[in-house]
Amino acid sequence: MKIIYHLIVLLLIMNLIWYLFREKQFWTQVSIAIVLIMFFLRLFLIK
Amino acid sequence: MKEKIKKHHLIALCLLCLTGTLCWLTGVQFLSMRKTDTFYPSPGLSAQTKLSDYFPQLADSPGDTAVYCFRGEEEGGNLLILGGTHPNEPAGFITAVLLLENITVSRGKIFIIPQANLSGFTHDDPFEGNPQKFSLETPGGRRWFRFGSRLTNPTHQWPDPTLFTNAAGQALSGAEVRNLNRSYPGKEKGHLTEQIAFGIMELIKKEEIDLSLDLHEAAPEYPVVNAIVFHENSAELAAIASMELQMEDIDIRMEASPPSLRGLSHREWGDHTPSMAILLETANASHGRLKGKPSEALIVEGKDPNYVKASKLGMLFVPYSKDGIPIKERVARHLAAVNALVSGLRELNPDQAIDIGNFPPAQTVNEQGIGLYLHPPK
Amino acid sequence: MPEYAIFLSMVVIFAILAMGLKLPIGVSLVFSALAGALLGGEGLALRHLVEGSFGYFDTILIIVTAMIFMKVLQASGILDTITAILLKTFYKRKVTLLLTVMAIVMFPGMITGSSTAAVLSTGALIAPVLIKLGLSKVKTAALIAMGGILGMIAPPVNILVMIMGGGVDMPYIGLTIPLLIIVIPLAIIISLWLGYKDIQILDYEQMKSILPESYSQEYGFRLSLPVLVVILLMIGQGFTSSFMPDIGIPAIFLVGSLVGIFCARPFNFFKVTQDAMKESMPILCILAGVGMFIQIMTLTGGRGWIVMSFLSLPPVLLYLGISISMPLFGAVSAYGSASILGVPFILALINKNAIITSAALSAIAGLGDLMPPTALAGIFAAQIVGEKNYFKVLRYCLVPALFELAMGIGVLLLAPVIEKII
Ligand SMILES: [Zn+2]
Repeated sequence: MKIIYHLIVLLLIMNLIWYLFREKQFWTQVSIAIVLIMFFLRLFLIK
Repeated sequence: MKEKIKKHHLIALCLLCLTGTLCWLTGVQFLSMRKTDTFYPSPGLSAQTKLSDYFPQLADSPGDTAVYCFRGEEEGGNLLILGGTHPNEPAGFITAVLLLENITVSRGKIFIIPQANLSGFTHDDPFEGNPQKFSLETPGGRRWFRFGSRLTNPTHQWPDPTLFTNAAGQALSGAEVRNLNRSYPGKEKGHLTEQIAFGIMELIKKEEIDLSLDLHEAAPEYPVVNAIVFHENSAELAAIASMELQMEDIDIRMEASPPSLRGLSHREWGDHTPSMAILLETANASHGRLKGKPSEALIVEGKDPNYVKASKLGMLFVPYSKDGIPIKERVARHLAAVNALVSGLRELNPDQAIDIGNFPPAQTVNEQGIGLYLHPPK
Repeated sequence: MPEYAIFLSMVVIFAILAMGLKLPIGVSLVFSALAGALLGGEGLALRHLVEGSFGYFDTILIIVTAMIFMKVLQASGILDTITAILLKTFYKRKVTLLLTVMAIVMFPGMITGSSTAAVLSTGALIAPVLIKLGLSKVKTAALIAMGGILGMIAPPVNILVMIMGGGVDMPYIGLTIPLLIIVIPLAIIISLWLGYKDIQILDYEQMKSILPESYSQEYGFRLSLPVLVVILLMIGQGFTSSFMPDIGIPAIFLVGSLVGIFCARPFNFFKVTQDAMKESMPILCILAGVGMFIQIMTLTGGRGWIVMSFLSLPPVLLYLGISISMPLFGAVSAYGSASILGVPFILALINKNAIITSAALSAIAGLGDLMPPTALAGIFAAQIVGEKNYFKVLRYCLVPALFELAMGIGVLLLAPVIEKII
């Protein structure tokens, strides 16, 4: 099950990064970056 | 148009770098909690094994933890002492450490697991704002210990189910699946925490433990605090021990383990093994919901103005003054209770007598501090 | 700086950023948390900020995946088809319609204990039906939000009670009846209150003219598979635990979404996930920000100050304190309210039956999902009906929320009587 959740997080990270680069409003980009921190830390199983 | 596209791509790139930097900076701090604590077992130690020796599936998993074994020359009773079931309850953990760094055993056997849920020591609970570690002064320098979470690290056991039905059939909220003291009797093929619970059950069975003790702390506003929680198979022993403690002027509550509350050590150890099962609680302000600013001092000195106020309002189940309840007092309580239970065991059943040397005296610990009995750091 | 001053400064800074400078709510929360850490002498406290946001990581996964599922239902035409079927069945039966709709919305909440799961799955299914039958967008959203909250409280799974029970060592046993006593009257009253006056009785021709395009001819039974799979997997949770770990709500929604790819009108899955990201981003960032805010509040002693302030109210004001503080604290999520305030309140009411007390408190804490800035139920309900300003939805939730609050307090007061009856 852990591997499935790992994949879910990976899928969402790719989506988030794509969205980060496509988005034009600065503060929305900041929001995405804030959320991305959590996803990266969980992807690498740090937190 | 082209210019504009470039600009927001550039911003995205900068933000991505910033995100990376923040991950790095905080990641280093989060990972610092994976560094293990060092203990200095007393010369009386007979063997240091691991929980995976009793349940091989735990080998190389983050749930495998050290078991310190003290074997006396003479036959006697077998005792298991568990600390660190909940890594945010330091008195239980430190009591176990203090014992393993001091005692010798001439009769009977003692098994000490100071960090029962080792994975819980590798992270902190969100929202609690706790420090990652705390220190105790020894005559030879300062010793640092990790202050972890009540639950197993989610990176070791992920995801939580919506609903957790433990091996004893109790339904609990999903996060409790990472709570070692809701996971007994454990499951061979279950979640990591259930496997740890299973391993501990295996140890109790294989080593034919006569008395198993689980050392905890609870919030001062919690009704079961400064208490001996006993399985019905240990009622007599708990009564003898509490009388002995009263004689030493230590007030302790007797709490029978509720039969309907399943998955806890004091219930399942007693139900599933021949061992007597007892859980001990002291009062820890840093654990409570009323706590003020969390800090290392709150953990060690246990002073909190919020709890003084709550005490005046009659909301607490322990006396609480502005002097607080320091960790040395909480550890002393645990030591006194362990001592009283061991002598109660001898009284109740002379075959199961355990003779312990260099037992850190509760009163001295309370008066002069824990550090006196801690090995100085190397 | 005293702890309450730090907390109040954090609130003021948040208000200035969010209302004065019009920054997104989530970003404002992050900066006010950062300011709180600095004012509290904790430096940047990056570790605490990030750790706090992790308190909502699981919730965030549920929200994103639920949003993807909802978008799949929309893009694949399943939503339209189900609307058509429901319309054909119910267009001339007002009360049955409203009660059925309420039950449908509540259902995912009942089995997951999460209002978000309810609002974003079956809530999305029934919203078009109500709107087409004449209920205004905002009232529809209010009904769905309340349905999600009632579903979260209703048995068999009430996570709020479990959280409170975990704090006082009360097993999750014997709650079905007390919870039903609370939920059933509320479900009936609230659905009729919001819907009875506005829902139109139609004749067949009128109904025909508003019927959305149905794909049931083309794809048949396959169309219902995504919804069926999600519901079955939700119900099946726990049964599988003897041979495999639970798959959890996020995976359930993703499985449902993947099934949706093969069951109906073709669509671009990547575009759907991007849409889901876009629509959920404000709330994701709010949750991360609230997590940071809470952790800094705890770190600087503000949380303790709040809890103590409410607990030290004189006994006559205790019920007032519960009524105000639990929904208000729900601004950081109903779960947080149940844990931080619910547990001390149960202890303060310890001479009453803990099972009934916790059931009643869960009804009150559940209202937290209507409290801005998180307002999970309100925000998502507004989103599925396409209403930009979720405060309009909250306005219509006010009276139903007061019903629920009154019910909760009533059950608390009558606990000794109820205890004898059940
Ligand atoms: Zn504990």
